[in-house]
Amino acid sequence: MERRNFLQLSATSAMAVAIAPSLITQKLHAEDGTLFKTYEKVQLKDAEGNPLKASALVEEENYIFSYPYAGTPAIMVNLKEAATSDVELVAEDGTKYLCKGGVGSKGTIVAYSAICAHQMTYPKKDMAMFQYVPSTGKTLAYEHAGIFVCSSHLAAYDAKQGGKVLGGPANQGLAQIILEVDADDTIWAVAVLGPDKFEDFFSAFKKDLKKEFGRKGAKKLMKTEAKVQELKNFTAQLIQA
Amino acid sequence: MAMNRRDTFKLAGVAAAAAAMPSIAVASEAKAKEVAKKAGGKSVVIVGAGFGGLTMAKALRKSDKSIEVTVIEKRSMHMACPLSNGLLGGLKDMSLSMFVGDYYEPATKYGYTFVNSEVTSIDRKAKTVSTSTAGDVAYDILVLSPGIAYDYEKQFPKWSKEKIAHVAAACPAGLMPGNEHIALKRQLENMDDGTVFIVPPAKGKFRCPPAPYERTAMIANYLKNEGIKGKVVVLDTRGGKFAKAKAFKESWADLYEGLIEYKGLTEVTDVDPVAKTITYTEYANVDDEKGVSKTEKYEVCNLIPLNKCSPVIAMAGIEHNGGGYAKMDGYSFKSKTDSSVYVIGDAVTHKIPPSGQTAIWGAQRATGQIIAQLNGTVNDPIKGLPAKAANVCFSMVGGKPEEAIMVTHTFSADKSGVLKGKGSVPKPKDGKGKFRSEGTAKATREWFGGVMREMFA
Repeated sequence: MERRNFLQLSATSAMAVAIAPSLITQKLHAEDGTLFKTYEKVQLKDAEGNPLKASALVEEENYIFSYPYAGTPAIMVNLKEAATSDVELVAEDGTKYLCKGGVGSKGTIVAYSAICAHQMTYPKKDMAMFQYVPSTGKTLAYEHAGIFVCSSHLAAYDAKQGGKVLGGPANQGLAQIILEVDADDTIWAVAVLGPDKFEDFFSAFKKDLKKEFGRKGAKKLMKTEAKVQELKNFTAQLIQA
Repeated sequence: MAMNRRDTFKLAGVAAAAAAMPSIAVASEAKAKEVAKKAGGKSVVIVGAGFGGLTMAKALRKSDKSIEVTVIEKRSMHMACPLSNGLLGGLKDMSLSMFVGDYYEPATKYGYTFVNSEVTSIDRKAKTVSTSTAGDVAYDILVLSPGIAYDYEKQFPKWSKEKIAHVAAACPAGLMPGNEHIALKRQLENMDDGTVFIVPPAKGKFRCPPAPYERTAMIANYLKNEGIKGKVVVLDTRGGKFAKAKAFKESWADLYEGLIEYKGLTEVTDVDPVAKTITYTEYANVDDEKGVSKTEKYEVCNLIPLNKCSPVIAMAGIEHNGGGYAKMDGYSFKSKTDSSVYVIGDAVTHKIPPSGQTAIWGAQRATGQIIAQLNGTVNDPIKGLPAKAANVCFSMVGGKPEEAIMVTHTFSADKSGVLKGKGSVPKPKDGKGKFRSEGTAKATREWFGGVMREMFA
C-alpha cells in the first residue's frame, strides 16, 4: 500500500515540476490516501447547538470535540500567533508530509487529534492529561509552554508547527485536524492530516470505548455537526506536569 | 522474505515433533537456517521479551515489514514490574490481570515470531542462537534484552546453594516479576502483627532504583489499611541518599507516622528462614566500623540481593563490566565487540536508569540504528540528544487517597563516552507544596497503561 502511494505521489510530483515548483509541496498533502484523509464536513457548534464563531474563540483555550469519529477526541486552540504551514514532518514509518497552517482571520486557529502520538493517552471525562498548555504556563516536558503536552509520559508537541514532536518519547507528531472557516465565521472540520492513531486507538481502548459509546458507537463517523466544549468543563480534572 | 517466515514456522513444527527424534530436528533446522540466511539478510533475533524486547520487535516491524523478527523468551507469560508495588500495597482495583500480557497478541498483530524457549548458547561466528527446545535460530542482527539476575553468591559468599534457594523463596526479592511478586503478596496477606523488613540491594546498579522505597510506602499503606499492628523496617546502606529521597521521606513522615523505620547504615549478615529472623549490623555513623549486631524476628522479609546482569551477555562473549553488563559502542546501543549485536534494557553500561521507560526509549533508538545498519544508511547515535524527559518514573506513595511522586531524566551524550541521565524531582502543580499529589497518582496509572499499550497494543 505504502509503495503504491509513493509511486502515485511521484507521478503527480513529476507532473507538478513542469507547472510550478510550489505545487510539489501542495501535492504532498493532497489526497494520496496515506497521510491525508477527508472525512465528513462537520460544523463545530457550542453546547447550545449554535454555530461556533471563529472570532469568538478565547485565546489559548482548549476546545474539545469529537472528530472524525464519535470516539476520537480532537482539541482546537486559538493560538497567540499564527501557525506555520508547510513545515515538513516525518511519520514514524519515514513518510514525509507537510503541515497546514492555522485558519481564522489571523491564521491562529488549529486543531489536532487529542490522542497522544506516543502511547495514545487521551482526555477522558474523569481526567485529562493531554492538552494545550498556554504560553503563560509551565511544563516539565519542554523549555517553554504554548505547546501540546501529554503529562503521562511528557510528550511535547509544537502547536504552531503541525504538531511536530518537540521533546519526550513520541516518534511522530500529532495528527492535524484540518479546519475551514467560512465567510460567515463558522468553523468546520473536514479532514485529517498526518499519521493518525485511530485504528490502534479503537483496538487498545475497546473496553473503555464500549462502556462510553456502546458496542460500535465510538467508530461512528461524525456527521454534519460536532459539539465543542472547553476542556476544563469536559473533564473532572486537568492534570498537567 | 515471506519464505523466511514460512521456514520459521516449519522450524516450530519440527521442534514440536523433535522430542521423539531430536537428531532429525537438528538436521531440518540447519537446512531452514541456510534458507533463512539467503533470504535477504534482514533477520533480527531478539533475546528477551521484556520492555526492551517487545518494544523493539513491534517497532522494527512497524518501520520495515521486510525485516523478519524473532523474539526468544523463556517465560510463557509477561508480567510487568512497574506499579507492582501498588499491587502489594493493596491499592484500589489493582489485580494481577493489570500486569500480565500474552506474547501471542503483539506477535500476531505485528507479524513477528515468538519462540517460548531458553537460550542455551550463542555462536557469533555462525550467527546462531541455540535454544533449549526450539533448536537453533539464525540471525543477521542479534538484540540482547535479557534483563537482570540476582547475585546472592557475591553478597553472601558463605551461603550454600541450598541456603540461597531457601532464602530466595522465603524472602522473595520482587524485582523480577512473576513468582516473587505473587509470593510476596501472599505473605503480606497471610501475615500476623509484626515487622516487615525491606532490604534494598546493598550496592551497585539495580533495577528500578526507587522500587524499595516505593515498596516501603506501599506496604506501610497496606499495614495501615488492614489494621495490622506492626511496622516496615528498611535496612539500607545508603544513609538516606537514594532515588527521590526527599520526596519519599516527606511522604513517609506525612502519611505513615510510626509505621516506617528507616535504618540507613546497616549490613545484613544472615537470614534464617526457618526461625524467620534477620541478622544485621547497624552502624551509628559512617565512622563507626564496629557497629552493633542485631537479630530480629520478621513476619515478611523482602530481601533484594545485589543485582547483576543476566548471564546471556557473557554467553554471547561480548565485552562486559564486572557486573556482566555489556560494554557499548559509544553512544549507540550496539555492543562494543560485535557490530551485529545490539544490547538494550537493563543490560547496558550506559549511565541511564534501569527502568521500564528507559528500556522502551533505548529500544526505539536501537531500532533506528538497526534499520539504518540493515539498509546501509547512517544513523547518528547522538541524534536528538540531549533528550529532555526521556525517562519519566512515578512512584506511588499514598493509598487513600492515591498519591504519587515522580522523577524525570534528561539523557545526554556524556563526556565519559556513554549516555547519561540527569534526574530532577519536581513538585506537582496540584501538590500544595508537597512532592506528592493525587494528579501524579492518576498520571502513574496512565503512564502504566501507556507502556503496556506500547508492548501489547
